Amino acid sequence: MIEVNNLHKSFIDKKNTVKALDGLSFTAKDGEITGILGPNGAGKTTCLRTLYGLLKADEGSVMVDGINVLEDPLAVRKQLGIFPDKFGLYERLTAYEQVDYFASLHGMRGTKKKAAIEQVFKDLEMEELAHRKMVGFSQGQRMKVTLAQALVHQPKNFVLDEPTRGLDVMSTRVLRNHLAKFKAKGHCILFSSHVMQEVAALCDRVIIVSNGKLAAQGTPQELCDLAGEKLLEDAFVKLIGSDEGVAA
Amino acid sequence: MIQFKALLIKELKEAFRDKRALMVALSMGLLAPVMIMVISKVMITESVGNPPIYVQFTGAEYAPKLIEKFEENNILQFANVPEDDKYAWQERGIEVDIPEDFAEKMAEGQAIDVVLRADFGKKSSSSPIRRVRETVRSYSQAIGYKRLLVRGVDVKLLRPIILQEQDTALPTSNAVMVSMFLGMYLLMGAFVSGLSIAIDSSAGERERNVLEMLLCQPVSTLKIVLAKMTCASAVSVLSIIIMLVLTTISVGFIDLSKIGATFSLNAFSIAALLILLIPLCFFATALQLFFSFQAKSFKEAQSTVSMLIMLPAMVPMAIMMIDDKPAWVNWLPISGQSMLMEDVFKGLPVDWTVLASTTMMTIVMTVALVIMTSKKLKSEKVVMSLS
Repeated sequence: MIEVNNLHKSFIDKKNTVKALDGLSFTAKDGEITGILGPNGAGKTTCLRTLYGLLKADEGSVMVDGINVLEDPLAVRKQLGIFPDKFGLYERLTAYEQVDYFASLHGMRGTKKKAAIEQVFKDLEMEELAHRKMVGFSQGQRMKVTLAQALVHQPKNFVLDEPTRGLDVMSTRVLRNHLAKFKAKGHCILFSSHVMQEVAALCDRVIIVSNGKLAAQGTPQELCDLAGEKLLEDAFVKLIGSDEGVAA
Repeated sequence: MIQFKALLIKELKEAFRDKRALMVALSMGLLAPVMIMVISKVMITESVGNPPIYVQFTGAEYAPKLIEKFEENNILQFANVPEDDKYAWQERGIEVDIPEDFAEKMAEGQAIDVVLRADFGKKSSSSPIRRVRETVRSYSQAIGYKRLLVRGVDVKLLRPIILQEQDTALPTSNAVMVSMFLGMYLLMGAFVSGLSIAIDSSAGERERNVLEMLLCQPVSTLKIVLAKMTCASAVSVLSIIIMLVLTTISVGFIDLSKIGATFSLNAFSIAALLILLIPLCFFATALQLFFSFQAKSFKEAQSTVSMLIMLPAMVPMAIMMIDDKPAWVNWLPISGQSMLMEDVFKGLPVDWTVLASTTMMTIVMTVALVIMTSKKLKSEKVVMSLS
């Protein structure tokens, strides 16, 4: 469970101040897929970075399974599986070594670690990739490795930052199936995206962020009803376009 | 501890799989012994041999005996210079003028002015000039002694005091040069060998988008910095060990005793050098990581960090220039090590208090750099420039 409360964050430059988050609050519950939608520059990445503990909020708090990020960022990160927006690979390592590396960083060891790695490779159907050096991996293969490394320690909460960007249909499906499985197991999934169909098909709840604030939230259907539109895309445009009223 | 081990193993794997960067890192270690061998060879032939010197004589016909003496000492007429060396000797332009009235004055017992004209500041001319001077002096002295003897005077009367010079410096200046080169190479090796790996694992990882992922993991930035430093330092320590071992072997092939050098690297001095240099390797990589983590790109890191290479080259030079060194120079990293290395090469006993204080100082500064770097990695400025 991820709770974001009244988050404020400004970036102060020499010349100007940019308000990235302006009192954002939402909750991502266990057993649900929560999608964060927002135009570019709405504050999605800032919000997620605050959640990882990379940035410190000026005001407000982020709680992950009851742990405050500000107080104990390392403990929070242990509870998270992170799929970053720009994922790089250690190209001189094999896929197995990279996943092993991240498993060890989460404190796993011995046979338990080995079993977990083998399990995640099996789940993602990437056993044949395991012992190949990752240089020259396709985008889909890279996504799988990143997914494997994010999931190997069986995190309670799973955060994805625009995971389907640059993926083909097959890879997107693999990812989608995996998220569905995860949801069924009762994990909390938070996921930011630009792709409306993706969000409409997957998410139980959608949070629309605009100008660092919560613009609207609800199931995709509720959002459509709220905006009086049939398609989520139209609802989205309408909701972020109108400043007044809808922000509950 | 599992985390640190995982971080370190990953860094080492990456470093040792990047064959080209590794070769560059270790090339210092492989090249230094070759360089030292070549330099010493050149020095030995220059200082020990008696190669022919070609001098432009004017009025050679007036003093045939003096010319004969010159020829005995392999100082020859410029006209006889072989075609290959002609340019070099023309460049040096050493001239000796013998006056017309040489024989006349000699017979009358008057002073004769023989002129030696050359660029005395040129290093390549210094040895020929010395030999010309020496030849004229001994020829003139021999005639003078004979004159006195003929008059029944004891030659010893001319030298009431004889200064006995005893040089306590163990090696000659040439050997000092050899050891200075090795010292400089070792310092450079400590600084340069880990450089590419330090940049690659910091600024390189940032550019490849893997640094952000690492910073999101439940691992303290201190461990990250320590692992990266240990890996890059391990490579530079390896390079230094290769350098020392190969130098010891290669120096065995040249007879340094010909130039009065007692240059030997025994097990003890190698151990002393390693004690000196290992902390310096860590200091160097900590410094490089500190700067390259702050750089925005791989290229920026490369240009800033390359400036750091100037340190091991400039500091020993600067120390050589200062005659009265303040005491604190002993304690600072680089300068302390370079002075202690000089002692080791000279075969002097190691000053353990200086060694301890320099090492302590180096370690303290390394720790400070590591802590500062790990603090920096937590700062928002670094996070914001991730993408």
